[in-house]
Order: sequence, then structure tokens, then C-alpha cells
Amino acid sequence: MATETETTQTQAERDQSDDSGPFQRWVSGSISEPGRAYRPMFWLVTVFFLVTTLFPFYWLFMVALTPEGQLQNVVFTPNGFNPGVFIEIFQILPFHRYMFNSFVIATVTTAFVLVVASLAGYVFGRLRFPGKNPLMLLVLLVSFFPPAAFFIPLNDLFNTNFDILEPVLSNGSLYNTPYALVIPMSALFMPLAIFILTTFYSQIPDGLEDAARVEGTTRLGALFRVIIPLSAPGVATAGVLTFIGVYNEFFFSFLMTDGQPQNWAPVLQGILGFQGQYQTLYNAMAAASIVAVLPMAILVVVAQEKIVSGLTAGGLKE
Amino acid sequence: MSTETERHERGRLAPVVDWMENLSEAAYAYLLLIPAFGLLTLIAFYPMISTFWMSLLEDQTRGAETLGGFVGLENYIGILTGDARLARQFLDVQLTGSFPFFELGVGFFQQALFVTLSFAILNVIFTTLIGFGQALVLDKDFRGRRWVRVAVIIPWAVPIVIQGMIFYLMFQPTVGFGADVMNALGLFSATPLASSQDSFFILLIADVWKTSAFMALLILAGLQSVDRSLYDVAKVSGASTWQRFKLITFPLALPAVLVAMLFRTMDAMRVYGLIESTAGCTTVPSMTCMVIEGMFGGTRIYGTAAAVAFMTAAIIGVFISIYIVKFRGQEGGVY
Repeated sequence: MATETETTQTQAERDQSDDSGPFQRWVSGSISEPGRAYRPMFWLVTVFFLVTTLFPFYWLFMVALTPEGQLQNVVFTPNGFNPGVFIEIFQILPFHRYMFNSFVIATVTTAFVLVVASLAGYVFGRLRFPGKNPLMLLVLLVSFFPPAAFFIPLNDLFNTNFDILEPVLSNGSLYNTPYALVIPMSALFMPLAIFILTTFYSQIPDGLEDAARVEGTTRLGALFRVIIPLSAPGVATAGVLTFIGVYNEFFFSFLMTDGQPQNWAPVLQGILGFQGQYQTLYNAMAAASIVAVLPMAILVVVAQEKIVSGLTAGGLKE
Repeated sequence: MSTETERHERGRLAPVVDWMENLSEAAYAYLLLIPAFGLLTLIAFYPMISTFWMSLLEDQTRGAETLGGFVGLENYIGILTGDARLARQFLDVQLTGSFPFFELGVGFFQQALFVTLSFAILNVIFTTLIGFGQALVLDKDFRGRRWVRVAVIIPWAVPIVIQGMIFYLMFQPTVGFGADVMNALGLFSATPLASSQDSFFILLIADVWKTSAFMALLILAGLQSVDRSLYDVAKVSGASTWQRFKLITFPLALPAVLVAMLFRTMDAMRVYGLIESTAGCTTVPSMTCMVIEGMFGGTRIYGTAAAVAFMTAAIIGVFISIYIVKFRGQEGGVY
């Protein structure tokens, strides 16, 4: 009913101002119907957000295309055109090896975190036992501390030679192995995964789990065959967040290897590797950065729907 | 079908499975928590305790031993009074008799506590506002929403070292245009990355650029769980757009906003990688910077560095408890 009167009003308004200019018509139209004014405003805001988020990438691309030595005041266009830099970065340094290292580390960490956090999330989300809240707070406590607070003892620990590890690792110490990154980062990103999975697992109706148990499934079987498959969006969200987090992490990636690609140095060290002692190849750093961001961009394109719906369904609702 | 495989598996593992089936709920809970807490103990709790012990020991800058005897809270007192041998002071304020009753020893942006606190507070304010704006845009239905959403989220997926490099290059006078533009406007000096104050704002812009997306993501999740029929009701009863925002969107999204702010605060207080890859820790000292400088800077002040690490955690803890108190007042908080 309300809409009906509104439209007739607008119609009258339009007839009245037929002889005025298009702008005047638009103004009087927006006064009588504010919804119309919001639309251009909405697009204006959207374009503003798009420009501000994407411009740094565009600019980085321009820097990459500018040949070395001509980097002065690059704004909207490159000074020169040198697309060959995207091949050079793989020749100057084995940049693909750094990327590979990062991928292996991020994948292993994500898989490990998902398994361990699933067990913990199941416990916190579905079981009742004394000491539940203090234990959850203890998990959250980990995120208060700067990673630096863990570093010295861990560094000592990873540089100690353990005789037991001798057959697996060349000198029995974890430094310069992927484990030196996987282990601390698993601990670092586990609290978030536990919290996401806890909320997801707690939402599965008890009846489904009971039915599986009556059918003769073991306790662990019920978790892995009923609870986890039913919370697939939550598991995907936790997995994607962990993967991106590990790939982007700075502190341990910077300090836990000596920066050599054969010693499992991650992509961060590859980008910094173009910073030589005598000259810094800014264009190569820019090109390497673009190459390193691409997989994350693809992951976001593929997973964004999952991430948002995952957070909606579990993470933040009561 | 599943029972058959079950039986098959049970062959060898039967005793273990039976034992697990017969545990009480609490015992089973503790059993499943062992892997998570085992890892956290090894990687987080043990190093934390060990670092805490270090923070109570004297710095030993000479000799083979890296730490001296037990000095109690002396390191903490040294840090708070500006007597610590840090490259940049954590806090350097003298109390005076006249207004405004205190005096800064060194510049505001050269004291780690002020740098970190103002960075965190400004960062959270700006990312919340911008993130809320972005979330409101992404919550609408329009053609191409999928791609706008991707574009808004992407900065968040950028590795810190790349984020730092983009803004480093932009404000590097020989490469980027940022330094020239800002200098022409009279806002920054000619070499902004060498000035503490200018660098602080560059870092702030860089971090707001990246982390607004994270805020937008979490707030969007909150907005999407708002029941759409509420808006129809509001429309029928004649609520204006502003009233709809004030009475429906805002209160219902508030818990999500608070959770997002909580995570953002914790992160912003631990800022380090961004600083290291742009202006450097000497120009803009954050609290984590102090820890790293103390540990790896060659000055061998391990005790003090450990104490700074613990003070950082304590300050983060204070902020967290503020949020938790706020949560209690809210309905539908997460915990």
C-alpha cells in the first residue's frame, strides 16, 4: 500500500518537472524517493573501495614492468616495458623452489592443524567435563603473546641435536628443516582453528551422533564419519584461514631457516633474496611479490563464498 | 556396511577401541585433548615459562653466560622507568610539578609503548569504520558482487612482507610517488621513511589497507546472519534507512564487530613484520620490535627482552579483559 502511494507521488513529481533539465529531474526525483539517491552513492562508495584496495597491486605491477635503473616516480604507467622480469626472477634465484617450500609447509601445517583441532573442537563443542572453560582460556592465552616470547627457547630446542632423530634428519637437529616451521606455526594457528571448529561441531544435533553410535560406529568413527562431514563448511573455513595465515606469516618464516632454498626457506626469504648486498632489484622484488600473491588471490576467488558462509554459519553466530 | 568395515578394523585395534569405548565422557575428553595440549605445551607453554624465568634474571652483557643471577622484577622496573639498555625506550616519561604534569624524555613516536598503543587504537578505529562500510556494500545484492567481494578481500591474503614492500617502495623517494606527493602537500618530510612520525602514519595506512578486509569479512559474516524479514517489517512500519541501520543492522551486527575488534587489537599490538619490512625497528619501535632488538640486536640484553615480551602480553591481556567485560553486557556474544 505504502509503495503504491509512493509511486503515484513520484509520477506526479515527474510530470511536474518535465520541462526542467535531467539533473534537476534527478534531484527532485531523489528528494521524493530517497532510495534513488542511495544507488549512485552506493556505486560511488563501491568504486572507491575497489580503487583503494586494488591500486597498490596495479602500482606494484607497474614497478615490476619498469626496467631496472629507471625507477623514478612510477605512478600510473611504467617507465619502459620489461615483461621479461617475470622470467628473470626464476633465473636470478630459484624462486619456484621458495614457492614450493611455502606450499609444502602451508599444506602440511593445515592438515596437521585440522586433525588436532578437530579432536579439540569436538571435545570443547560436544562433551561436558570439568575444567572446560579454563582449558579454553588457556588456548586463547597463546594468542596474547608476541611470537618473540616463544622464540629463544624454541630456537635452542630446534638447534639441539637429538640422537633419536639422527636416522631421519641429517644432523639430528630441526633447524633448516620444514619441521622447524611446521611445528611452531601449527601451535600458532591452532587456537583460531579450534574456536571455529568448536562452534561448528557444537551445532550438529546430538541425535545424528547417537544414531551413528547405535549403528555400531566407534566414538572416533562418529567424529570422522558424521560430525566432520556435516561441518564441511566449517572445516573448509578453518583450513583456508590456516593455509593463508601460514603462507603469509612473517616471524618464524623470517627466523627459523637460514634463507637457503634447499633448506626449506619460504617465499618470504625468496622476495628478500633480491635485496643484495650492493644493489636491490626493486623491479624483481615487485615481480616476485606479484607471483607470490597470485596463488592466494586464486584461493580467495575460489573460497570466498565458503569463507563468508562458513563464518556466518558458525564462527560468529551464537 | 559400515559395521562390516568396523569389524574388519577391530581385528588388531580391538583392545584399544574397547578401552576407548569404555572411558567416561570426561576421560575421553581429556584423551582427545592430549595432542592439542601436547603441542601447545611444547611450543607455547614451555617456552613461555622459560621466557618468564629469563625475564627475572639479570642481563649479562659480557662473558660466556648469557644470563646473570636472579634480580626479581628489576628488569620490569628498568623498562618502565626508562633505564633499560634498549635501543629505543619502552616508556620514557618524567613527572613534573607543573601542567601537564609529565614530560616526554624522547619523542612520542620513539617510545615503544606509545607507538604500539596509538598504532593499535587508531588501527582498530579505522579498520572498524572502513571494514563496516565495506561489509555493508558486500551485504547488498548486485551484479558482480562476487568480484567486488574478491577485490575487497584480496589485500588480507597478501603476505606481510609483500604488504610492507609495496608501501616501502611507494614512499621511497627514488622509486615511488608517495613521498613527493605528501611532501608537496606539506604533510610529510622529504624522506618520510627516515622520520618516526611520518613512518608511523605510513605503517598505519599500510595496515589499514590490509586488515580492513579482515574486519569486513568478519562483520559481513555477522550481517549475513541478520534475519532479512526484520527489514521487511521495518519497511512496512515506515522506518527510514538510517533508522533501519540504527535499530536493526547495528545492534545485531555488534557482537560480530566486537569479535572482529578483539582479534584485530591482539594482532595490531603485536605488529612487527610490517615495521621490519618498511621503516625498520629503529625508526618506529613497537613492543615486539623491542623484544627482537634485545634478543638479536647484539646487545645481549636477554633478560630485558624477555621482560618486554611479558609486558606486551600483559598489556594485550588488559585490552582483552576490557572486551570480555563488554561481551558480558551483550546478548549473543561468542563465548
